[in-house]
Amino acid sequence: MSSAILEVRDVVRTFGGLRAVDEASFHVDEGSITALIGPNGAGKSTLFNVISGFLSAERGTVQFEGRRIDRAPAHRIAQRGLVRTFQVPRALTRMSVLDNVLLAATRHPGERLNGLVLHPGRVRSRERKANERAAELLALFRLDTHAREYAGVLSGGQRKLLDFARVLMAEPRLVLLDEPMAGVNPALGRQLVEHVLRLRTETGMTFLFVEHDLDIVMEASDRVIVMNEGRVIASGTPAEVRGDQRVVDAYLGTARTT
Amino acid sequence: MSTIASFGFWSFVGIVAGIYTLFALGVQVQFGYAGLLNFGQVAFMGIGAYTMAILVVKEDLNMWLAAGCGIVLAILAGLLLGLPTLRLRADYFAITTIAFSEILRYVATNEDRLTGGSQGTINLAGIGQASQYDGAWQSFLGKVERNLHVGSDAAMLILVWTVALLAVAAVTLLMRTPWGRVLKSIREDEDAAASLGKNVFLYKLQALALGAALGALAGVFYAWQFSFFSPDDFAPLITFFAWMIVILGGLGRAWTVPVGALVFGVIFAGTRFFDFPPFSLLDSTERAYVRLIVIGLVIIGLMLFRPQGIFGSRKEMVLE
Amino acid sequence: MFMQLLANGLVTGSVIALAAAGVSIVYGILRLVNFAYGDYMTFGAFTAVYFNVTLELPIVTATLLAMLATALLSVAFELVLWRPLRARNAGFMSLFLVSVGLALVLRHVIYLVAGPQSRTYTVDPYKVYVIGSARLSGAQGIAIVVAAVGIVLVGILIARTGVGRMMRALADDLPLAAVAGVRTSRVILAAWVVSGLLAGLAGVLAGLVQTSFDPQLGFTLLLPIFAAVILGGIGNVYGALLGGLTLGLVMELSTWPELHGGVNPTYKPVVAFGTLILVLLLRPQGLFGRARVV
Repeated sequence: MSSAILEVRDVVRTFGGLRAVDEASFHVDEGSITALIGPNGAGKSTLFNVISGFLSAERGTVQFEGRRIDRAPAHRIAQRGLVRTFQVPRALTRMSVLDNVLLAATRHPGERLNGLVLHPGRVRSRERKANERAAELLALFRLDTHAREYAGVLSGGQRKLLDFARVLMAEPRLVLLDEPMAGVNPALGRQLVEHVLRLRTETGMTFLFVEHDLDIVMEASDRVIVMNEGRVIASGTPAEVRGDQRVVDAYLGTARTT
Repeated sequence: MSTIASFGFWSFVGIVAGIYTLFALGVQVQFGYAGLLNFGQVAFMGIGAYTMAILVVKEDLNMWLAAGCGIVLAILAGLLLGLPTLRLRADYFAITTIAFSEILRYVATNEDRLTGGSQGTINLAGIGQASQYDGAWQSFLGKVERNLHVGSDAAMLILVWTVALLAVAAVTLLMRTPWGRVLKSIREDEDAAASLGKNVFLYKLQALALGAALGALAGVFYAWQFSFFSPDDFAPLITFFAWMIVILGGLGRAWTVPVGALVFGVIFAGTRFFDFPPFSLLDSTERAYVRLIVIGLVIIGLMLFRPQGIFGSRKEMVLE
Repeated sequence: MFMQLLANGLVTGSVIALAAAGVSIVYGILRLVNFAYGDYMTFGAFTAVYFNVTLELPIVTATLLAMLATALLSVAFELVLWRPLRARNAGFMSLFLVSVGLALVLRHVIYLVAGPQSRTYTVDPYKVYVIGSARLSGAQGIAIVVAAVGIVLVGILIARTGVGRMMRALADDLPLAAVAGVRTSRVILAAWVVSGLLAGLAGVLAGLVQTSFDPQLGFTLLLPIFAAVILGGIGNVYGALLGGLTLGLVMELSTWPELHGGVNPTYKPVVAFGTLILVLLLRPQGLFGRARVV
């Protein structure tokens, strides 16, 4: 029996009068690959922003590894090991591809002014290690030939890979992927799925991802959480969820209105 | 012979450019590297100059110590400004910084007993007691002249540029460190930086304070160069000169600042000596108007036709 | 004393309110903080000097002509400057800096042409209106009446007319409005016309209120105007009007001696900025602005 690495309880977030997330509760098991699905406007992205600290929850709690993170700022949550990607990859365009990845290095003494002055030796050795790791990651995602170029010259698909490399550089224990397959060609999508599966097996990393491509969801995930109109309406194994009448209704309901 | 050809003229251009290199380098750190729209940079120049002069005249403090106090006070003022305002939207932050610099200028104008008021530093010791704060500096400058066997303009030129180039080198090196990398990432996309565990607010605060220190350093040299100043020397216009310099050279490159400052120095000081037709038809105040019209046109033309600056590449501007 | 300050506050406040509405209309649509706006006002004030003093036209006629001239100037800059810049996808910083450059050019051209000496309009200086315990000069009386009319007209324009509706649509979402078939370039021109008319009016009124003025007139008012715009929630025209009135009252009433001796009058602009900073800390979306959905 695995324990929950992430526990979301009764989270509420409104915009104006609209309840984008309405008492949503669910958990993510450590070492699992969990999918968060639901029709457009179900509140998935808002919930992602709340979990990662980019939006505050009005009510409810979020616990990561047993500690509350719902009042913590985004950077603190990332430092604790919960790192997210964005729907549209956020390449830092006027920085080199290598610098994009190096930026994600954790606990780097060279990122503090006093560290630079007082511990130049430690800064150098940390930077050397960071460079080695970044080179590995860039090679893994076949970006090594672009390492010195501006990230702004990369294609959309390459930026997805860069985003992924950057997240891994941050040594997360839980990764939030916001629509990893959106705008990616099938071959690259395949590649990303395999990376995720392999990382889970090799390192025990946990993944929570929002995805519209239901084939990928059914194939790659251990558990599926379904949201509709801000609420979690079902959760279970892909097979269980597929047969759930509420899920079918939710999707058909939006299909009819759109 | 025209003054344009004289050493006095060119050394004046050079000294102005050196001081503005330090001043604009602060804006380069804040905007060029960290993306902060600080339009109140002149406040830090004023804090540096006034603190130094007041401490020397009223407290009889050692000149170097007084200058150091000016820089420290500017850093504190930068932190004080940043703490409440750096979380605001970029446009609100921009306007708040101008307001900050104007508040300080009003205070300097009205608190006669502290600053000498609108009459400037001549009244620092009180009305009727002419005061000067640069005696120690002049004798230091004299020593430099004798040791290097140069005139006073040349000595000033050497001192200002030594400090300015050291500062440019220091900033260049700093921006190559992991600290500088984080700063640049905030300029590019602060959400992305935060998502990777970087405390965006803290870095912005540091960039603001570092820029403030450079502004104050420029202020100290400004005070020494002109031997007298008043609150009107720190009008918002001066901040925009710095912005023009930074954009002239190109954003995100410290070494381009001296070049931008030199171009600015020629426009700024050069137009003062336009003593040939058609400018000789204008009197000196009218020529001052023309100078500011020219600077305004340069800013507009730059943004219209070469927003990437002299050394920037168009390609870099369109990366998205 | 209190009534006098209240009256002064309404006069100052209504001038700032008109100008703030002019800045806000353009900001709402183009996200342009127009640093040259104070100098548009100065341009209006000096054009009115030409009509009123040189050509000896009555002040009302001169004001209307000056408003027209300022609107033309405002449209001309849209065509030669702002439109080309938008075509190049210029960002907030670029637009702002161009407006700074424009402010320098405009102000010093006015200096070159008109000279630095102080100017006064030809109005009856001895006419005094007494309302309760407050006394207003003839110029102040005109200013407050005209400003009140102007404020009502701006409100009606934004709320009731087709142009106003389209302006609000553009302010909400420019690309969407363009897709929905709003002739964006026309509405933008209309916004510049209104903004220019208001600059001309506010410039002349500011000149009337101050009795004598030089080419710094508009620029010295610019920061209180920006403060009013932010107080109202940037881009919110009603908010700007209210923000201007609030700020004018706060500035004048802060000098009331009963209030711990009152603030030194030279610190009035500082009071304006102080109010602004205080409000931003407590309500970052502005006093009358709504929180935006991210």
